[in-house]
Amino acid sequence: MDAFITQQIDAYYLRIIIIIGINIILALGLNLTTGVTGQLSMGHAGFMSLGAYTAAILSLHTTLPFVVVLIAGAMAAALFGIIIGIPSLRLEGDYLAIVTIGFAEIVRVFFLNFELGGKAVGLAGIPQQTTFSIVFLIMMVVIFLNITLLNSHTGKALYSIRENEIAAQACGVNTTQLKILCFAMGAFLGGLGGGLYASYMYYISPGEFGFMKSIEILNMVVLGGMGSIPGTILGVIILTIAPEFLRVVADYRLLFYGAMLVILMIFRPNGLMGDIRWYDIKKRLPKKEVKKCQS
Amino acid sequence: MFLQQLLNGITLGSTYALIALGYTMVYGIVQLINFAHGEIYMFGAAVGLFLVTVAGFSLVPALLGAMTFCMLLGVLVEKIAYRPLRGKSSRLSALISAIGVSIFLSTFMLLIAGPNTRRYPEVVNPTTYHIGSLQLSSMQIIILLVAALLMIGLNLMIQKTRLGMAMRATSEDLEAAYLMGIDVDRIISLTFAIGSALAGAGGVMVGIYYNAVFPYMGTMVGLKAFSAAVLGGIGSVPGAMLGGITLGILEIMGVAYISSSFKDAIAFGILIIVLLIRPQGLLGKKISKKV
Amino acid sequence: MQTKKSAKWAIIMIMVMLVSLVAGCSNKPTSTNTPDVIKLGFLGAKTGSVANYGLPAEKGMKMAIEELNAKGGILGKNLVGIYEDNKGESADIANIATKYITVDKVVAMVGDPCTGLTKVAAEIAQKNQVVIFSGGATGTGVVEIGDYVFRNTLLDSMAVPSVVDWMINTKGWKKIAIITSLNNGYSTALTPVFKDAIQKKGGTIALEDSINDKDTDFTAQVTKLKNAQADVLVFTGYYQEAALIMNEAKKQNLNISMIGGDGLYGQDLAKLGGTAVEEKVIFYCGFSTDKPTPETAKFIDAYKAKFGENPDMFSAQYYDAVMILAKAMTDAKSADPKLFRAELAKLKDYPGVSGSTTFGANREPIKSPVCLLTVKNGAFSLVDKISVK
Repeated sequence: MDAFITQQIDAYYLRIIIIIGINIILALGLNLTTGVTGQLSMGHAGFMSLGAYTAAILSLHTTLPFVVVLIAGAMAAALFGIIIGIPSLRLEGDYLAIVTIGFAEIVRVFFLNFELGGKAVGLAGIPQQTTFSIVFLIMMVVIFLNITLLNSHTGKALYSIRENEIAAQACGVNTTQLKILCFAMGAFLGGLGGGLYASYMYYISPGEFGFMKSIEILNMVVLGGMGSIPGTILGVIILTIAPEFLRVVADYRLLFYGAMLVILMIFRPNGLMGDIRWYDIKKRLPKKEVKKCQS
Repeated sequence: MFLQQLLNGITLGSTYALIALGYTMVYGIVQLINFAHGEIYMFGAAVGLFLVTVAGFSLVPALLGAMTFCMLLGVLVEKIAYRPLRGKSSRLSALISAIGVSIFLSTFMLLIAGPNTRRYPEVVNPTTYHIGSLQLSSMQIIILLVAALLMIGLNLMIQKTRLGMAMRATSEDLEAAYLMGIDVDRIISLTFAIGSALAGAGGVMVGIYYNAVFPYMGTMVGLKAFSAAVLGGIGSVPGAMLGGITLGILEIMGVAYISSSFKDAIAFGILIIVLLIRPQGLLGKKISKKV
Repeated sequence: MQTKKSAKWAIIMIMVMLVSLVAGCSNKPTSTNTPDVIKLGFLGAKTGSVANYGLPAEKGMKMAIEELNAKGGILGKNLVGIYEDNKGESADIANIATKYITVDKVVAMVGDPCTGLTKVAAEIAQKNQVVIFSGGATGTGVVEIGDYVFRNTLLDSMAVPSVVDWMINTKGWKKIAIITSLNNGYSTALTPVFKDAIQKKGGTIALEDSINDKDTDFTAQVTKLKNAQADVLVFTGYYQEAALIMNEAKKQNLNISMIGGDGLYGQDLAKLGGTAVEEKVIFYCGFSTDKPTPETAKFIDAYKAKFGENPDMFSAQYYDAVMILAKAMTDAKSADPKLFRAELAKLKDYPGVSGSTTFGANREPIKSPVCLLTVKNGAFSLVDKISVK
């Protein structure tokens, strides 16, 4: 299939499409933590770099199959997701945000001092095993699992934590377990996306996974609509393609980007697709709204 | 060497504290991390530099000029990017808007001034005072004095004046304050004005002290200052001062005695530990969740 | 049931989105290549933290292309440069390199000033058999990527032993302190080269410390440095931090010289460091505006007339890179990378504006001499020229 695709589509556009796929996986992870459950995470790049480095080091030094390498990276990130999930039990809102920023910074500084990861120089020559079909397949599985999860009882419980945590508790939702779960799942997808990214780019360095990267992924989730899967996908597509087209006015690109965020928040604060979910589009009626517990 | 390092830490810490004050004041009132605050600090440094080099001002007028400019900029940012969002959208939207402003302002500076780092001419006579083995530069003294004065003044204003009372009332409960006849919008504008002016002052002094002004100077310092505010207990003015100075000392001591390789990790690691033990920060009030 | 249906729906949606995207993309004119021009792609940052290297580099490249076109171009065709901004980020440079090759159909890419980014673009260039010619990547592992990868710059591994020898034997600086910038790949790669050379030449390392790029507070490091009582400080990072460290040293009354690599070569070193760096900071590089050869003098004058500022190492090396590419194409009588690549590898004693260049057997450039520069009265001035052994 890849050979066919490479023939049909220009390499430059194919590259952008693959990056969109990777970003969708990353952003859906953050969407689970921040969009659905409402736990503001501003350190998604930290999880991404854990996955990227684990996968890169494994594929450089071992002969494990690519799938195993990817899952190992994702599991490493998920482990740290659980560790970061624990403070989320005690902290909320902006305090949690600063802990996640701090976590991502610590991870970055760790990799800057990490001999096996090439320190600031980074790792080069990572075998390029990420192809269009792999990204597409993983992306479809991730989307499918996300939809299944969000339509399930657990998914609704996650939404209820965002809407009103205390009320959710009162309704018998085990918020402790679910908050850690959402961090673990978000981190898992972050690590998975990171592994794909590392293997696609040939080269990774700690500088790429800085604060701005976390913000970039957060923006994708927010632009499309928090907690909405189609929204997140739309956000990813727009924010991945826009810089490529805006390269014509390169100098003003970031200026425009900043202004766009402000204007968007003023006129469409819930993102382009708000809280729209798949079945909302289908029925064109938000009948299946999350059952809100009255407090 | 220990005392010298301690002094280095206090100087660095007081610059964090000046910026942290802006974060904490705004957060106390509207529960918003004003991400653009770091950029306002950068604008303070840049406007100060412009006034000193192009307009030929001396230190004090340049400082006042930069503070006035930042005050206006802060109010403008609040009017354009935050006020339309207030009350009708989630806190996260406001945060995203703040990030947008931050990107906009730093890129704007990049476009008009270029990416190069610039330095201040010597506006302060660079004398060094020796106390035993301790060295204290004139700029260090000025930073410590100005920071202390501004912070004490701010604290007095908040505690003793009617305006300060209105600010405290607004931060306690915005709607109740509104019902009590407080012009909430004006109070919020004023909060932004004061916080931004302090950041402007910090920008000018840091610019002179470290000799470096560049478009992205606000990003990392902003994050650190915000951490300082959280460390001290966000929303609390004495907390911001304490948090700033503590963070400054921790960073310098980390470099001096542990390892400079993990400088940023030390600062953030300690922050996380403090938050886990005392989630409300060092001087913050513990607020139980409202239902 | 609910789940399955909506999942199906989701898959259809994604398909539609992707297909329309692909359709949208392929409708664009994919080939804007006209046979009568030869296209070169510029790699470098015009915004972001390494824009200071990219901007002069772009000017050097533009000037070379204009000069060549004024003389009638190469093989009767005009040269066209395409200048995208990679912001110094690897994702961007990967996108841009792919775009240059597949959309713009360039025959060669010139750049990047940074080693790490060059490696990203080099992987793509090698795979697509397009020449990449870096005018600044000094680190290891660049030309090893493949036979389409070239660079024209003074390699650290060649220059540093001579410089350390000069420090220890000419200057008598034996107790050496080293500061690395941790988040700077150039710096972390250069430090081991220096440490190795110091050990071999019989110096001692008095203190090893680190900073981060974009930090401004170096008080703690300088206080430590003062206590270490070293003869000289080796700083392997960039000029901005170098200037700030020297400022801080001056404030703390520490009188010490600083040695560094060409990362310190930026016009801003003097502007930022002021009197603190005057005749204190000494760095090596392959280009100096002092005592120029006739070719270099001509280049400097033309550059000044055009841009109103002095050229730096990057403008000179990018200028040379374009000129060398042009020479290779003329010699090969073809603008096909597969053909002129071989001519390029044969380059010997090319008298460029950034010194003479020979490509060795492994395509690594051998450049001579090494210039040691310092700041004097706010301008760069030559301290010594040492030849590479």
